[in-house]
Amino acid sequence: MDVEIQIKDLRKKYPNGTEALRGIHLEIGKGQLFALLGPNGAGKTTLVKILTTLIRKDSGDFSIGGIGPDKSFPLIQKYIGVVSQENELDPGETVFLLLQFQGELFGLSRTQSRNRADELIDLFQLETERNKKAGTLSGGNKRRLHCALALVHKPQVLFLDEPTVGMDPLARHTFWEIITRLNRTDQVTTLLTTQYLDEADKHATQMAMIIDGEIRFSGEVAEFKNMVHPDMSYSLEDNYLTYIKSLTHQE
Amino acid sequence: MNHAGKILLTRGIVKLAKQPSAPLMGFAMSLFFLVVYNAGIGGVGNMDVFGSGGYLSFIFPITIISLSMGSSAGAGQTLNTDIQSGYFKRLFLSPVPRWMLVVSPMVADTLSSVLFTGILLGIGAIFGLTFQFGLLSVLGILFLSTLWSVTLCGFSAGIMLRTGQHQSAAIVTNAVFPLLFLSTTFLPRELITSKWLLTVSWGNPITYILEANRYLLAGTSSRMFLYISVVILLFTSFLSITFALNSARKIKF
Repeated sequence: MDVEIQIKDLRKKYPNGTEALRGIHLEIGKGQLFALLGPNGAGKTTLVKILTTLIRKDSGDFSIGGIGPDKSFPLIQKYIGVVSQENELDPGETVFLLLQFQGELFGLSRTQSRNRADELIDLFQLETERNKKAGTLSGGNKRRLHCALALVHKPQVLFLDEPTVGMDPLARHTFWEIITRLNRTDQVTTLLTTQYLDEADKHATQMAMIIDGEIRFSGEVAEFKNMVHPDMSYSLEDNYLTYIKSLTHQE
Repeated sequence: MNHAGKILLTRGIVKLAKQPSAPLMGFAMSLFFLVVYNAGIGGVGNMDVFGSGGYLSFIFPITIISLSMGSSAGAGQTLNTDIQSGYFKRLFLSPVPRWMLVVSPMVADTLSSVLFTGILLGIGAIFGLTFQFGLLSVLGILFLSTLWSVTLCGFSAGIMLRTGQHQSAAIVTNAVFPLLFLSTTFLPRELITSKWLLTVSWGNPITYILEANRYLLAGTSSRMFLYISVVILLFTSFLSITFALNSARKIKF
């Protein structure tokens, strides 16, 4: 397995004393669709923020595509795409211009950016919204645009942090069609954090369970299911709930 | 300037052009000062102490200072809008130097301020404003105006980044406003009778900026004021940029 994301003894403590990450070790292979699961406050978001260069680690190390944070943040940023929980849109710009600007920010020429913007408008079915300002779009279309922006520069690694929040079933279906195609065809490594466990169950092959800033399980989704309920007839959500409840009882 | 810097600066200028209320208000306020003060008390300009430039050259520098005061909120507004909409996070995740995200709207704001200063100088010239050293005077005034704008934009942007409220831009204007009255704004030192005001005016950086502009316009002040004001403004510009960049580091994602 070619390792795409490598995390070694990663630690993060916030100024208020909360130890969000207590020595995370994790390896994610190239082309994997990897689900990072855990209850609220477990450290998922902190881990994703560190990996996407939004915040800095205290200690430990990580690399994405062989690039470490000490080497260059911009190199990592060119390599990754991030779809976070909140829409990050400039409400005063049109769909097309936002996509074009995003391309130019990532170093594409104006012509390349315009062509890419057209491709993504087509892919995310935003043709009728092309010249509308982002602030005037419906919730679902804002979400589509938000996702499209993360793909402008054709990233090798995608971070999906609760990506389908606020999407209607059709938009959600379209979104997963695009993501799974990128994952399977272009071998785009995808790290997903979600509370919609049916999505993780359906699309992820590998997973990790993070609790109280520590990785408690890392492996195949099927392996996790087998570990919790060996008869394999339960969904990931059922297994997840059983696992979390058993931990609570133990503590 | 690299590719990313250019497109971020272009965006800053476009944003400012789409929301021109801050620079236009600054310009209108300055023009108002110029017309009202010159019309109201311009007659005292016949006194020898005002030199050949008359009261227009004497009062003109305050219009430049107030122009930047009125328009310095633009950069902070752009940053604040981006932060509120979450778009700043997307920019933050782009492969561009992060200081550029803060500095580019400040540069756009400063360019706008310098542009309007140029227009003001043109209007002043129509009204008979003199330029003691010709083109050098114009360039000197634009240079001082640039540094003054950077100072105000940086502090204004920094405060907005820390408070997250665009109304807080008024803090900078409110802080500077009293300094205008504790200086040689309306009368030269020779005509100020209060000793405490004279003393305070020497410790007030606005005095040096006003006098430097007066030196360039009519030669009525010492060249030393120009040197001192450049040093002061370089220092305050550095402080304000540092403050804005440090404020950006405190944004929580």
